[in-house]
Amino acid sequence: MAKVVGIDLGTTNSLVAYVKDGAPFVIRDKSGDALVPSVVSAAPDGTVYVGREAQRRLLTDPARTVYSVKRFMGKGIEDVREDARLMPFRVAGEAGGVVRIGLGEREFTPPEISAFILRELKHRAEAFFSAEGEIDPEVDRAVITVPAYFNDAQRTATRDAGRIAGLEVLRIINEPTAASLAYGLDERHAGLIAVYDFGGGTFDISILRVEDGVFQVLSTNGDTHLGGDDIDRLLIERALTLQAGRASAERIQEVRKAAIHAKWDLSEQTETTFQAVRLTRAEFEELITPIVERTLEPCRRALADAGLAASQIDEVVLVGGSTRIPLVWNRVGELFGATPHSELNPDEVVALGAAVQSEILVTGNRDMLLLDVTPLSLGIETMGGVTSKIILRNSTVPSTGSEMFTTAVDNQTAVDIHVLQGERELVADNRSLARFKLRGIPPMPAGMPRVQVQFQIDANGILAATAKELRTGIEQTIEVKPSYGLTDDEVERMLLDSFEHAEADFAARMLIETRNEAESVIMATEKALRSPDFPEVASREFQPGEQRRIEQTLAGLKHVLGSSDRAAIQQWTTVLNDATRHLAEVMMNRSVQAALTGRSVDQV
Amino acid sequence: MTSDTPVHTIQVCRTCGGGAPVDAHFCPQCTKILSLGRQGDYFAFLGVPRRLQLDPAVLDERFRALSRQFHPDYFYNATPAERRASLERSSYLNDAYRTLKQPISRMAYLLEIEGVWTPADKAEGGGSKQVPPALLEEVFALNEELDELRELRAGGARADQWQARLHRARQPIDAKRAAHEAELEELFRRWDGLAEGGGTEAARHEVLAALRERLLERNYINNLLAGIEKELERPAGVER
Repeated sequence: MAKVVGIDLGTTNSLVAYVKDGAPFVIRDKSGDALVPSVVSAAPDGTVYVGREAQRRLLTDPARTVYSVKRFMGKGIEDVREDARLMPFRVAGEAGGVVRIGLGEREFTPPEISAFILRELKHRAEAFFSAEGEIDPEVDRAVITVPAYFNDAQRTATRDAGRIAGLEVLRIINEPTAASLAYGLDERHAGLIAVYDFGGGTFDISILRVEDGVFQVLSTNGDTHLGGDDIDRLLIERALTLQAGRASAERIQEVRKAAIHAKWDLSEQTETTFQAVRLTRAEFEELITPIVERTLEPCRRALADAGLAASQIDEVVLVGGSTRIPLVWNRVGELFGATPHSELNPDEVVALGAAVQSEILVTGNRDMLLLDVTPLSLGIETMGGVTSKIILRNSTVPSTGSEMFTTAVDNQTAVDIHVLQGERELVADNRSLARFKLRGIPPMPAGMPRVQVQFQIDANGILAATAKELRTGIEQTIEVKPSYGLTDDEVERMLLDSFEHAEADFAARMLIETRNEAESVIMATEKALRSPDFPEVASREFQPGEQRRIEQTLAGLKHVLGSSDRAAIQQWTTVLNDATRHLAEVMMNRSVQAALTGRSVDQV
Repeated sequence: MTSDTPVHTIQVCRTCGGGAPVDAHFCPQCTKILSLGRQGDYFAFLGVPRRLQLDPAVLDERFRALSRQFHPDYFYNATPAERRASLERSSYLNDAYRTLKQPISRMAYLLEIEGVWTPADKAEGGGSKQVPPALLEEVFALNEELDELRELRAGGARADQWQARLHRARQPIDAKRAAHEAELEELFRRWDGLAEGGGTEAARHEVLAALRERLLERNYINNLLAGIEKELERPAGVER
C-alpha cells in the first residue's frame, strides 16, 4: 500500500518523516542528512536543482536560484516588494494578483516553487522506502505543516503546493502544535505547555493544555514575518555598510553565507570572525536584541488570551533553528520562569509531529487528538464599513458561526457579502478574503428578507461560507478562494493595531452607528412626507407650523450628516425624532402606511 | 414539566433510516455517526444538566470525551456523509463548550433557550441603553463628575489632578459590580436548587427574570466602565 508521510515545509529547510511501529522517524539521505534546504535553482540547460545542490548554486548563479519562497506564499506583489529587494531572483506580478517568481527563463507562482521542494521530499522518501524493501514505496499522501499564524490564503497556497507536487494533502497542521505531539509521545506530559517556535522566517507561540492524550490549543499568536532570516539580514547589512560601493548579487550571497556561519559559531563560542572582523557574542546579542524582544510581545498576548499568567506554564518547548541562540533561550526561560525543553532536535521536531498526525488520520488511532484554533477572527462587512466578527480568534476548529442580514431598499434582489479576516473594527483595516453575491432574492419590502450567512472553518483552518435566504431557502455555497493572502506586515499590523488603535476604532464605529441611525430616521421621514395620505393628515391633524418644523429639522439633520461631529448628528436626530413623533403616531393609528410601522419600534 | 425532563423527539439516521433519541450522537441501530439536524441544546448535547453552576472539570472531561468520539481526524476513511456529520458535530461541540465554559455566557445562553433573553436584548449589545433603575443614582453621580472632569481636562489640568477624582468617582460603580457578582452567585444557586427540586413555574420564572435584569445591568456597567477607560487612555488634546 502506498505510503503516507509528514512534511515540515520550512522557510530555510524542509524535512520529511514517517511512522514505523508507532514511532516517528525523520528520513535522511545516504550521508545521514535530514535537512533539504528550501532552495530551488535552474541551470541554463533547464535542469532544476533542489536542496543542497541548489544551495551551492546560490553562490555561483544567484540570479537563477530561489530561496525563502515561503515568505511569498499566499501573497500579492504589493505585499512582497520589501522582501524582494534583497533577493537575487526576479519577483513580479500584476497588481491584485498572485506573485510570480523568475526561475531561469521561466516564471512560477510560489506554490509551484514550493512544489519543487515537496517533490524532492517525496522522491527522497520513496527512495528510502525502496531501499527498505517495501513492495509499494510510492508516497501519495502527506500532512504538511504551516506556521500557526498563517492566514487562510497562506494555508490555501500551501495546500495547493502539495497538490501540485502530486500529494493528497490529508491535513494542514500548525507547526508548534505538531511539535507538541512529538514531545507528547515521549513522555506523556500533562499540564500547560508553551511552544515557542522561532524558525527561519516565521515566529509562532502556542499555549496548549494536554490531558488524557488530548492536545488542546488554548491560544496562539505570532508574526509571520520574523525569523532567522531577519537576524542574517542585520549581519549582512552590518558587513556591507563597512564596505564601499554597491555589492553584486554574488557578493551579497557570499556575505549571507558568512553571516549564517558566524551566527552558528556564536551559539557555541563567545567570539568569531565575520568578514575579517572580530565579532563577539556580546556585540551579536546587542545587534539582535530588538528582534528577540519582538517575539516576547506575542507570547504575552497569547498568555492573556488563554487567561493565564506566565508562572502557570508547566513546560516550555523550543522549536526552530533560531532557538539555538543562547540569548533567545535565556529570554524565553526568563519570561516563563521555566527551563525550556530542547531534548529533541529543534529542526526535526515539527516533521516528527506531522508524521504522528498522518498516522492518526490514516489509522484512526484514538490515543492522541489535536484540537487547534483559528489564529485570526473572521467576519463580514456590515453597514457603514464596520466588521461584524462571526468567529473569534482562538476558537477551536472546526467551528461555525452565522449572522443574519437583510436588504436596505425595497425590491432588492441581490446581497453582497464581503468576508474579512483580522481583529480591527473597520473593514478597511482588516484583510479582505473574498466577496460573493447572493442572487435571486424575491422582491420584498426593505428589511423583509432574512439572509443567513454561515461560516465553516474546517480542521485545517480553511474557511468556507454559505448564505441562505430563509424565507425562500435560496442557497449559495462558496469556497473562499482569495487571489492572494495578507501581507506579513498586515497580519502583524492588524493585531497590533487592534490593541494600539482600539480607541480610534471605537470612535469611528460610534460615528458610523450614529450616522446609520440618522439615515434611517431621514428615510422614514421622507417616505412619510411623500406618502399620498400625507396632505390629508397634515391638513386634519397638524398644528400650525408643525409641517414647517419637520421640514426644517430634516434639512438641519441632512446638513450635519456628512460631518464627523457625532454629538451634532445625535442631537439633530433626537430633534427630528421629536418633531415627527406626532406624525408617526397619526400615521400608525390610521394604519394607512407601512412606511413607519414596518420599521422596528426602537427606530421610531 | 421541567426543562430536565427528556424531550421525546427523535432524529432519523441518514445511513440506515432508523430513529434515534435527539441527544444521541451515533445511531443505536447501525452505529454510524448521526448528521446534525435536530439536536438538543448545548447542555443536552454535552450531556450535562441544565445548571448554572457546572463543575469545570466535568465539562472539560465531557468535551474531551466527545471530541474523541467525533473529531474529523477519525473519519478520514469514512463515507462523505459521515465525514460531513463529523465536521458538523465537532463544530457544534466546540461552540457548545465555548459557550458553557464561561459562567456569564452560560447564563446568557440559558436565558436564551428559556426564552427570556430576546433578540432585542441581544441587539443592544446585551446592555440596555436606558440606565437600569437600580443604577440610576450611581450613574447620575458619575456622569456629573465626568462632565466636570472633561471641563478640567479641556482646560489643560494636569493628569494627576483629575485622575484621582475620576478614580474616586468610579468607586461606587466598581462596588456595584462586585455586589453584582455576589447576587449572581446567589441566583445561580437558586436556579440550580429549583432545577433539582422541580420548583413551580412561577418560582422559575421569577429567577429567570431576575437573572435577565442582572445580565442587562452587568453589561451596562461593563459598557460604562469600558467607555471611561477609553476616555482615560485618550490624550486630552483629541477630545471633541
